[in-house]
Amino acid sequence: MSDLDRAIAQLRACRPIPEAQVRELCHKARELLIEEGNVVTVKAPVTICGDIHGQFHDLMELFRVGGDVPDTNYLFMGDFVDRGFYSLESFLLLLCLKVRYPDRMTLIRGNHESRQITTVYGFYDECLRKYGSANVWRYCCEVFDYLALGAIVLGASTALEPSKQNVPASAASTQDDVDSDIEIEVLSHDGSIIQKFPRGKARGLIGQNNSAAKRSSSPAAKTGPPGTGASGWSRGSTGSSSGAVLCVHGGLSPLIDGVDKIRLLDRKQEVPHEGAMCDLLWSDPDEIDGWGLSPRGAGFLFGADIVKVFNHANDLSMIARAHQLVMEGFKEMFDNSIVTVWSAPNYCYRCGNVAAILELGEDGMGESAHARSNGDVNRSDGGIMKENERVLLAGPARRYRVFQAAPQDSRGMPAKKPVADYFL
Amino acid sequence: MAQAVPDPPPSNKKRVKVYELRNSDWFDRGTGFCTAAFIFDEVSRHEIPRVLVQSEDQPERILLETKICKEDGFQKQQDTLIVWTEPATGVDMALSFQEAEGCATIWKFVSNVQAQMLAINCPDDALDDDISVDHFSSSISLPPPTLGNLPEVEASIRSCNVTNAGREAIIKFVISEDYIKQLIPLVEMAEDMEDLASLHKLCNIMKTFILLNDNPIMELVVRDDLMLGVMGALEYDPDFPSHKANHRHWLSKEGRYKEVVHIEDEKVRKKIHIVYRLQYLKDVVLARILDDPTYSVLNALIYYQQSDILQHIQTNPAFLKDLFGIFSAQETSQERKKEAVLFIQQCCATAKCLQPPARTPFYNIMLAHGLLSVITFALRHNDVAVRVAATDVLVSMIDHDPHMIRLSIFRQIAEKQTPLTDSLIDLLLVEVDLGVKAQIADAIKVLLDPGSQNAPVDTSAKAGGEFGIRLRPQVDPQQAEFVKDFYDDSAKRLFKPLVDLKDRENMEFSTHQVSLFIYLIEILCFFVRQHTHHSKYFILSEKLGHRIAQLLSSPEKYLKLNALKFFRNLIGLQDEFYNQQMTQGRLFEPILNLLIETMPRDNLLNSACLEFFDLIKREHIKNIISHLVENYRDKMKDITYVDIFQNFIIRYDQTQGFAISMETSFLDTEEDTPKRPEPGRGNRWENGIKDLDAAEEEYFNTSDDEDDLAARRRESMYDTSPTSKPLVDYPSDEENENPETSTNAADITSDLSSESSASSKPGGEVASNSASLALPPPERLSEKRRREEDEEDEIGKLSLSKRRNSSSSAGSNTSSMLRRKKSFTNHAGGGSTNKPNKIAISLSPAIKTGGDGGGGGGEGGS
Repeated sequence: MSDLDRAIAQLRACRPIPEAQVRELCHKARELLIEEGNVVTVKAPVTICGDIHGQFHDLMELFRVGGDVPDTNYLFMGDFVDRGFYSLESFLLLLCLKVRYPDRMTLIRGNHESRQITTVYGFYDECLRKYGSANVWRYCCEVFDYLALGAIVLGASTALEPSKQNVPASAASTQDDVDSDIEIEVLSHDGSIIQKFPRGKARGLIGQNNSAAKRSSSPAAKTGPPGTGASGWSRGSTGSSSGAVLCVHGGLSPLIDGVDKIRLLDRKQEVPHEGAMCDLLWSDPDEIDGWGLSPRGAGFLFGADIVKVFNHANDLSMIARAHQLVMEGFKEMFDNSIVTVWSAPNYCYRCGNVAAILELGEDGMGESAHARSNGDVNRSDGGIMKENERVLLAGPARRYRVFQAAPQDSRGMPAKKPVADYFL
Repeated sequence: MAQAVPDPPPSNKKRVKVYELRNSDWFDRGTGFCTAAFIFDEVSRHEIPRVLVQSEDQPERILLETKICKEDGFQKQQDTLIVWTEPATGVDMALSFQEAEGCATIWKFVSNVQAQMLAINCPDDALDDDISVDHFSSSISLPPPTLGNLPEVEASIRSCNVTNAGREAIIKFVISEDYIKQLIPLVEMAEDMEDLASLHKLCNIMKTFILLNDNPIMELVVRDDLMLGVMGALEYDPDFPSHKANHRHWLSKEGRYKEVVHIEDEKVRKKIHIVYRLQYLKDVVLARILDDPTYSVLNALIYYQQSDILQHIQTNPAFLKDLFGIFSAQETSQERKKEAVLFIQQCCATAKCLQPPARTPFYNIMLAHGLLSVITFALRHNDVAVRVAATDVLVSMIDHDPHMIRLSIFRQIAEKQTPLTDSLIDLLLVEVDLGVKAQIADAIKVLLDPGSQNAPVDTSAKAGGEFGIRLRPQVDPQQAEFVKDFYDDSAKRLFKPLVDLKDRENMEFSTHQVSLFIYLIEILCFFVRQHTHHSKYFILSEKLGHRIAQLLSSPEKYLKLNALKFFRNLIGLQDEFYNQQMTQGRLFEPILNLLIETMPRDNLLNSACLEFFDLIKREHIKNIISHLVENYRDKMKDITYVDIFQNFIIRYDQTQGFAISMETSFLDTEEDTPKRPEPGRGNRWENGIKDLDAAEEEYFNTSDDEDDLAARRRESMYDTSPTSKPLVDYPSDEENENPETSTNAADITSDLSSESSASSKPGGEVASNSASLALPPPERLSEKRRREEDEEDEIGKLSLSKRRNSSSSAGSNTSSMLRRKKSFTNHAGGGSTNKPNKIAISLSPAIKTGGDGGGGGGEGGS
């Protein structure tokens, strides 16, 4: 394992590892991933992350803000590569961490984890530049084929646990706000609170007027950072289990009416141009009724009604997905039934957006409350919703940490690796 | 930043009412204060002239924000009224001023800007008019630069950079005065004095010059005498104040340029260096700040230089003779041979950027000089880099035109030489480098593909190959003979490792063997689809089905997975011949065992098994179902965690093993079964149906945009060609090809009550599940057709970027400008209004894109 740790250290310094080592790493990763179901079961607490897109230095910033592996349990929802100039280092680091801490790291596939897309959007080119041949790209693409298509988070708490993050000592005295039933909390990169939404009042607030998130440097004065001592909050008494959270890169598919249906896919293939597997990786939620045509050329648009029926039929309280740039880093839609999480700040080094990660806490009730296996078929009623049972499950308490791009000086100038020798 | 219009400045607030023409009535949008100014646009990073009206009672509300365009047709009516038509929406707008003076000020700004814009388009008029006065002047004059006046120089360049006219003026000035040359001595001076502020200013100035997107300026900055100076300035990026890049060090390092055969023409040598510098500029210096127009300009320049270089090489027989002479016996230096191969590799990589018609003569000349024997030599080289280069060259030619290579192979056969395909097979069996192996496997597939040989240069037809090859191939006799010979002899050698599995008990293999099996299975899957009857009898006589079934018990899970994929392929073909081979050979047994073995777990292998049987259920292959129930009823009875197997048993029992006819389909309404009543899907009709399939496919092939889209995707694949045919291997495509046309209304209703996942094809209008809210998935084909015009479209960008890479001619240049402009307006519109976008499917793509921007989609997501 010391080899692996050495590779991790080298990648953390943003230096690629030798080709032979990549091959071995991919081989090990494949052994692990082949044992994962198409939808991986993950237990809270977990930190859910969106697109990374080869922005290595921002990934480091993400770990700084969200806590390091293995202290924090991470779930990355795909699109590790392309666009940014360090796709290789970013993906290999995540893969190393997956192999090193298999239970603390979940990687699912995004639409960019594909041979076709990576040849156009940069990853192929990057591998060619950094190794002189496409072999490493081939190894990585092989691993892409084994990545799970989704994850389901169980046992997320409905009550927010106090932030684990270290808070400046001066701020630790203000503890007036930990006791209320907070559903959503938005924190800036240093752990100070930007916004809070008590349960019941959050609906419709988030996403629309999220402009406060941009002012992360000046958090609202009236809400201080949470205390570390957690007065009045006792584990297990207020925290109860919420419905499960489904995580996919893109969204829903008209061909998939239940989470169990995803199990019937043979995922070991290049992302197809259509069909259920394609839709899971390509679709987007939109303010429409039912299904719509996606302007992307693959996948569909789906409306609030689709999400609500799906969540109800599958005992989900929420869907978390990535795939779309949101300037505020995250955006909840459709009465908080679906959230987009975006984790690439200043996307493409010029979009000026902030990024976010989503923390779901652990309920105090142990694992029994919602334990279920992926093989538990017929759990859903196939999407037929009985009118009298139409109760929206309590959403899990959500803590969003918003962060900005890594300071420019810390990373050097982002650039591609130039070609060394030339004949022509 | 915003330039002040002289006294009185229009940015003084002017009280005004905003009107909009609705149903031929002027609708009052509110009262506010009007400003007109150049406002910095975050998207374009330019300052854009705008007219803004801020609400009187709610100052944060903007009543109007409009960009002044040339074609807006602003008019001043009476003393207090300005009217125009909003170009984006076509709505007539009016501003009614409280005071004539306010109106006059705004009007002066608007008319100045518009006059200036007109002047850009017709420069002749601009000269003889008095509109090019004051700050809009179309010529600038900068002082000779010194470290002392750099701040002023930078400021005036900056202020000119906000208008098109200003930019034109800078370009004119910089070129006529050779201004860059004047700046360069300052770099060294400032470095000597450690004057970082000046260096940052110099860097900003150089960046501004480069981002003017002007070809002559771009050529200037890479000119021999200026290049290092410009790069020097660019090393001090004020965005990274504590960093210094080392561009000069990199570019001036000796020995980067390798000359295998001396190029006599000095001009060509110069071009080679210029291409390298431009690429460096694109990849390193400007990587972070490159916008689309600059990217296009750089690519266009690179493209032109590269075409010239290749043109020079291919029309220079002496050079080619020297080059290929390196591979003759006289040359003893292995190093030189290696470099020659790498040189040819780079030539071919460069040739990929040429237009297809220009590529053909290039490859033909190379082939005529003996490229094929060079490839054969290089494929056997003990240095892996050389083998990689050889496969790269081979694959680039195959991608361009496989038939060209086949003809050379036929020639080899005629001359009794070892054909290239045999060399490839030998190599595949022993090659250890996985990359080389993958490329060789792909090359073998394409070379033996009888369908993909038509239309050598016409890429659209070639790119349709994925679909074309599934059609009944129109094989030319020579190719047919070639394939036949292949099965007589070479195929036996190729698949020998599989055949040798016979009588082998132990399924433990080395990694090398495992990867070999995986490629062989992949190739075999491909042959099964392409060579209909040859492959059938080959598989039958060599008992390859049994051999591959043995691999299902390998301890390597991914080998199992690949073996399973082979059978999934056979079933997917819906060919009774293979179905019979599988039932008679009892080949379902190991698959069923594999499922049972993996059953308690939810993992990839188990899902793949489920998908396999689910396909049989979905496609309702009754002979297989009967076979399964008759032989494995007990085993299947115990598999209850999915309903597939209970479903098989019920179906079988309902029909006592007879063919399940349409009448029985009522049963299925209770179950989770998608049924597709298929009258006449019996054996006898198999062929008829197949023909229908083919005809249908042809129809879609020739007329459908979807295929066109796919074709363009493929084209872009070919362009970069990491793998030659990644699209070929989608076995799931098969399901979508069965004609659904026979389903009548009654069938659709019965489908409604069942689950949708399997039966509702995107193309079908079958509704999904019965939940009232769930709407049917929309029709796909028309969707894609409409998407064609959509610029935000991600898949479409695949082809877009192809255009970028290859043929950035002046034409595509301007079109990308236009495109960019369009996306600006989208962004602008999207950025300012953050309300939820209610977009229905029926809206036009243009509006749709705008809406996406508003939804925060910004760059189109990812």
